[in-house]
This record gives sequence, C-alpha cells and structure tokens, in this order.
Amino acid sequence: MNTTGELTLNMLKEKFQVTEMRVESPNRVWARIAPDKILAIAKFLSNELEFDHLSSIAGADYGEALEAVYQITAYSHGIVLTLKAKVPKSNPVIDSLTPVYWNAAWYEREAYELLGISFRGNPNLAPLVLPAEMMGEYPLRKDYKGYPNPT
Amino acid sequence: MNGEIETQINLKPSEMLLHLGPQHPLQPGPFLLDLVLEGETVKDATLEMGFIHKGIEKILENRTYLQCIPITDRMCYLASISNNEVFCSGVESLMGIEPTERAKYIRTIMLELTRIQSHLLGIGEYATDIGFLSMFLWMIREREPIISLLEMVTGARLNHSFVRFGGVAYDLPAGFKEKTLRTLNEIRKKVEKHDEIMSRDSVYLKRTKGVGVLSRKAAMELGVAGPAMRGSGVDYDIRKVDPYLLYPDLDFKVITAPNGDVFDRVKVRLSEILESIYIIEQCIDMIPGGPFKQGYNPYLIKPKPGEVYSRVEDPRGEMGMYIVSDGTFKPYRVKVRGPAFATMQALPPLLKGAYMADNAAIASSMDSCTSEVDR
Repeated sequence: MNTTGELTLNMLKEKFQVTEMRVESPNRVWARIAPDKILAIAKFLSNELEFDHLSSIAGADYGEALEAVYQITAYSHGIVLTLKAKVPKSNPVIDSLTPVYWNAAWYEREAYELLGISFRGNPNLAPLVLPAEMMGEYPLRKDYKGYPNPT
Repeated sequence: MNGEIETQINLKPSEMLLHLGPQHPLQPGPFLLDLVLEGETVKDATLEMGFIHKGIEKILENRTYLQCIPITDRMCYLASISNNEVFCSGVESLMGIEPTERAKYIRTIMLELTRIQSHLLGIGEYATDIGFLSMFLWMIREREPIISLLEMVTGARLNHSFVRFGGVAYDLPAGFKEKTLRTLNEIRKKVEKHDEIMSRDSVYLKRTKGVGVLSRKAAMELGVAGPAMRGSGVDYDIRKVDPYLLYPDLDFKVITAPNGDVFDRVKVRLSEILESIYIIEQCIDMIPGGPFKQGYNPYLIKPKPGEVYSRVEDPRGEMGMYIVSDGTFKPYRVKVRGPAFATMQALPPLLKGAYMADNAAIASSMDSCTSEVDR
C-alpha cells in the first residue's frame, strides 16, 4: 500500500482523534498524540500501514513536561512520521514500544537514564551509557547542574 | 552500564561467564561483552556500553550552531563528513536555505570519499580480528591516498569540520580532479584484486561462509543499519529512499547480498567502495562554477523556531539527527540516531547460538563504532 504523508495523518486523525498535526515537507510529517495511545498507534502503523522501521526515540525537556519524540519510518519509502507525546515531569510514564519495534529497547533505555522518561513494559529498563550511581541525575534535563559537583 | 551482571544471572553448573573487554587490543573503543558459554556455544550475550560517554548531545545544546560542527566530528572520526552533513543539512532546512550547486557537488564527492576510507578501515579491522593481518595492512595502504585527498581539500586527515550551512568551508584546490581520478583508478584495481582474494581463499571462506547468519526478516526486525542490513538482502539505503544533495540525479546501485552471513556483509562493503568510486567519477566531471558557499555570516546563524529530522547515509548506515530550535543562537535539543548504535544493539541476539571462535568474526563484521554509540 502506498502511503503518502498526508494520507497517513488523515487516517490517524480518523482513528485516534489526533488534533495537532502538520505536513512539513513531502517526506516529513508530524503529529502530537496523547501519551496513552502510543502503543495502539504504533501497532496500527506497523500492521496496517507500511511503517515497519523505528528510526529513533528522542526525549526533550520542556520545563513542566517531558516529551517523547518517535521517528517512525519504513524500509520501502522515505516518509518519516514524527509522533510527539508530552508526559508530565511529576509522573513521566509512557508505554514502551518494544512489543511492536524490537529496536526500541535501547532508545528507551537511553531516554530513561538521560531524561527520566519511564517506559512501562520495557523488558530491561537499566541504565545503558551512564554508571549506575548517576541514575536520577538526568543530565539532559535543562535544570541539570553537573555531577558529582555542580560546577 | 550496571557492572553487576554476575549477580543478575543464575548460571547452571555446565555454563560459564566470560567477559570480553572492556579493554581489548582489537577493539577501537571500549565495550564489555559478557558471554554465557556452554561448552563452546554462546548461550546468552549482554553488552555494556558507556565507558567513553562524552555527552555530545548536551554539549551541542551549549554551543552556537557554528561551534557545533567540530563537535559533531568527534562522534566518529571515520565518518566526520557524514556527521557534519547530517547536522548542517538539518540546520539548513530549519533556516530554509539550500547549499549552492557547486557545494552540493563538493559535498557529495567528500561524502563518498569518506565512505571509501571508512569501509577500507572497517574491512581492515575485521581482517585483523579473524587473523588475516596482511589484509589489514593492504587496506591501510589503500586508505592512505584517500586520506591524502581529503586532507588536500579540508586540511585535516580525520576530523574535517568541512561542511558549512549552505556550502562548504573551502573550495577545491587546483589539481584535485586529476589526482582524484588517478588515485581512484588505482584503488579500483586493488579493491578488485582484494575481492578476488577474499572470494577464493579457502581458509577465509571456511571462516566466514554461513557464519553469523542474519536473515532478511531478522535484520528488518532488529533494525540493523547500513552494510549489515544490505548484506541480508534488504535494499535499504537513505541515498535512494530519502535522497539528499545530488543523489536523486546520480546513477548508482544499492549493493545487496542474499545470505546475511559474515562473508556477505564484508562483500557488500567491498562492492560499495567500487560503487562510490563510480559515483565520484560521475560527479567530478560535472562540477559547476559559482560560489562554494552562501553569503551567510556563519557566526550569526539563528534559525526560526521549529524542528527537523534530517537523515543521511553514513558509511555505516542510516544516520539521523533531530534538531529543535527555539529561535536563539544555540540549538534547544539535538538527538543523534547513530547507525552504530542500531547495529550494536542487534549484536547480542546475533551472537546467541554461535561458536565462541566465531565471535570475533561476527562482531567485527558489523563494523560498529563505540565512540558513536557512546556519543
């Protein structure tokens, strides 16, 4: 099935009531989604549309909220669908994508240790690149002051 | 990096735990591979990363856009021009500009030269790992003229910092075309010869054929990148799927191999060198005149608020960068999606069930780069 970016967005809109979305260029589209729908959307994208490749998961710190940013694309076409889900900093929990995309595991571990987004359902949510004693420091948050000494 | 693997797994009496690394003379960067062995067979594998974590994503948030370019070099010195390119093309689309026509040609040529030298060293390192030291020396010998060509243009052998927003740092020097064509001609002959040696040597074939097989389906599921993916028969190449610079207009094939074993992954790299030479030869005759960069003051780059995900085909595979701009002189957030990260992640499942003796061959045929995983 040949999906264009706009068509994909319209499908998401119908099926998951996505409200905020934009077509940046023919190959780049993004949509803001509710955090509790991420797993259902990913299942829909990989099973019914041709989005069979997770390119990356990024996290970003926006003061009150943390944002998980998923770049979902495919091996057969160049459309990158960016899904953005905001979670509150007080309880940053979101469903893991590992049941749908196997390679989400390490990206989630990285976002977990560097930004503190917790992925529910990841089989091994252990620190990947930071030492265990730095857990809880979250270096990529904007209020990070340095470790061990805030210099 | 949690260090206490022994306490986490319960070994059966017939099993033993073997640490490979973190320091090993054959590895370019430190990583710890913990193998649970039963006899000679790997039962389970765990990777621990983070020994050289540099925090590049955080550093980039605290630099102006121009200052970011040399930092992106340091993610992986073998692919520094690709790293520059992915960052600069992202910032370019945030600013809404395009590189000049001449700069597109120069950048394409430089990217392909980088691919050639990275593949040569990748094959060389792999050859040492399987005990084929002469191949390593040959590869280093072949790589040297390519490095000289890059040095001739950029002034640096490894960390080039060459790409700029809307162009490149320097124009091509006089005599570059002749020297490049001469060098590439020689390298083509030599690579063809190495290809022949590698496909006829019976000891080498025994070591590599049918070893570490990654099926087409598994490769797509595990999300490995670049030659490791194409060695399993998936024709996934960002240059074709999501083309940038001159690639939509160029004539080149995506090299694939059907079997997904160690032999095929290395074979794909060798053939890609030849394909890159072909690409450069197409470009180098057609370089147009004109300016090699846009007339922007690089010190005052200030994209409007927005975000972008730019992708290029690094020598090792799909390289992506997610850049968020908040309208100031510094990026708000930069996330790097490295190909080595994706490939490294797929290593433990691939090693499961393999023989201990095949470990080195399998691991180094993936051509991963610790420095880039631990950005």
